[in-house]
Amino acid sequence: MNYFRNFSAAAAVVALATPAAAEDITIGGLFPFSGTNAVYGDVLSSGAKLAVKHINADKMLSGTLSIAYEDTQALPQPAVVAMQKLVSVLEVPFTLTSFTGVSKAIAPIGARNEVVMINGGGVGPDLAELGEYFWNVIPLANLEVRASVPYVVEALGKTKFALIYVDDPLGGSIRNELEGVLEEIGGDLVSEMSIAPTAQQFSGLAAKVRSSGADAVYIASYGAQQVQIAKQLRDNGVDAQMISYSAYGVPDAMNLPENEGAIFTAQAVTLEASDPVTKRFVEDYKAEFGKDPAPYNVNYYNATMLFAILAQALEAEGKEITGANLLAKRKEMGSFDLVGGNVSFLDNGTLLFPIDVKQIEGGAARTLTTVDIK
Amino acid sequence: MENYLANLGVLICVYSILAITLNFIMGYAGIFSLAHAVFFGVGAYTGGFLALNYSSSILVILPAAMITSAALSLLLAIPTLRVRGEYFVAASLGLQILAVTLFTEWKWFTGGIGGLVGIPPISIFGTEIFRPTSFFLVTLVALAVTIAIFGLLVRSNFGRSLRAIRDSESAAAAFGKNVPLIKTVSLAISAALAGMAGALYASYLSFINVESFMLDTSVLIMAMVIIGGTGTQIGPIVGAVVLLSLPSAISYLNFLPQSEIGAIQQIIYGAGMTLLMLFRPGGIVGSGGK
Repeated sequence: MNYFRNFSAAAAVVALATPAAAEDITIGGLFPFSGTNAVYGDVLSSGAKLAVKHINADKMLSGTLSIAYEDTQALPQPAVVAMQKLVSVLEVPFTLTSFTGVSKAIAPIGARNEVVMINGGGVGPDLAELGEYFWNVIPLANLEVRASVPYVVEALGKTKFALIYVDDPLGGSIRNELEGVLEEIGGDLVSEMSIAPTAQQFSGLAAKVRSSGADAVYIASYGAQQVQIAKQLRDNGVDAQMISYSAYGVPDAMNLPENEGAIFTAQAVTLEASDPVTKRFVEDYKAEFGKDPAPYNVNYYNATMLFAILAQALEAEGKEITGANLLAKRKEMGSFDLVGGNVSFLDNGTLLFPIDVKQIEGGAARTLTTVDIK
Repeated sequence: MENYLANLGVLICVYSILAITLNFIMGYAGIFSLAHAVFFGVGAYTGGFLALNYSSSILVILPAAMITSAALSLLLAIPTLRVRGEYFVAASLGLQILAVTLFTEWKWFTGGIGGLVGIPPISIFGTEIFRPTSFFLVTLVALAVTIAIFGLLVRSNFGRSLRAIRDSESAAAAFGKNVPLIKTVSLAISAALAGMAGALYASYLSFINVESFMLDTSVLIMAMVIIGGTGTQIGPIVGAVVLLSLPSAISYLNFLPQSEIGAIQQIIYGAGMTLLMLFRPGGIVGSGGK
């Protein structure tokens, strides 16, 4: 019995003398890992995984950081269940999110519970209107218009624009932005045509573009439809300069012979930059995954790293890592050194990145200019 | 944890109502509809639209959602319930496809592809209900009302007529039953309650878009009925509980790699359904015989 008592006393002394281990820190990751969009799960989460590795290796935080991944199937209802688990069970202060429908469905839950949600994949402009707890680390599609249209007017001398836009929030916002920008810089929107998201026949539109006398045509569509529009415009004798946004940076669109010379915009990420953050990211990403990083990988790396920077600052001040404190700290710090350089947020929680204006040449994209968006 | 379970409870109640309403026409009247998500969606959009633009009072949005869904069901029923069996399945499939296009294109009402965002919480006599625990009680009451309504219906003369039609439409007609009228009324009641579930769903989520009302949802509701037990009163609820809680339960198995959990869920899901149908084709609470 004495032996047991002595052992217990010794154990108690050791326990008191040993500093308490720092608590692990968990953030959420809402990605589709099953269903028709399952392919995006790994693509979107790989950058975040690398960021966690770097954050823990650098001991940026008092505890070990991990991401609790939840499968959303890219659908609103499973996403709401997953978000409730993150908020109510795991009590995360911060979560990564993707896909427009998912983001809109989880936004009220995050806002009510003061949990920061950060998107690095969707470009729908209405993602900027989901409240102050919803942030975007990707330039939204409407901002891209501010880069490409002035370039086409001023550098290429094309002033008469036709717009073909898909009838959804993305197309509508591009139309609004295009009207505003053209008015500012002295161009004309001579024709605007909306199309259903499922439409595949555009020869009629080609006739309208020709008769409008437009010397540039902006295509605000995505997926297989944008390829069909480009092909059918050229097949039906439209020789105007084609312009689009970041959805054009996919192999299907780039490899289409009819798209030779087309201009599109994309988030500018200078992976050749010599700053230590970018350099380390590029080198380690190639080593880890055996390929060059894409913008989505950069965005979710940045999103995760942003959490670590904010949480580190809060811990240094002895403050708790909560969604409200993370939001306040983001507003206080203003700009951040992330992959791609020093970046800052707009008031609506969207990160401003410079935007590349690119031209398709032989199936590849050549950067014509890089524009700082204001 | 409480909120998480309450959230799951809300969804289980909403889908239980949907499964019960589908079971009523499918299990008792033999009307196989692949358009149940349409009635769910019409109720959701009606409730969401009214809450955003006029009032979020439960006394406004639930009746409006029920009436709209029931009215739409009449549009489907009157021309198509004259056909039998697989022809109605094809007709309902057509309605489902048509409705998805309408939900996408009728922008001023549905918000188009972007959906309706920021739907205000439902209010009961001026008190807004949005917390999962409070909302769970509301949906639980709605579920209890649904169970009571259909419980009474299936035990009534009307229920007996439905079963007669299911077993032999010609025999029921020969005995003087007004088959088209009975089928139309049953579909309208079913659609009205599905519309109520839709309005609750829209209010709870604060956001709806077409992704929640596509063919996948109709198939999911049908799977709940079949897995739980067609033509039984408790079966659809058991089906909803199993199909909604199983994926959530699997996500708690920490030894599974989290980024692979979706694929594992689908394997377990598919295998479970196959085994169930092989060894218990009547569903979990249905008769076990083949």
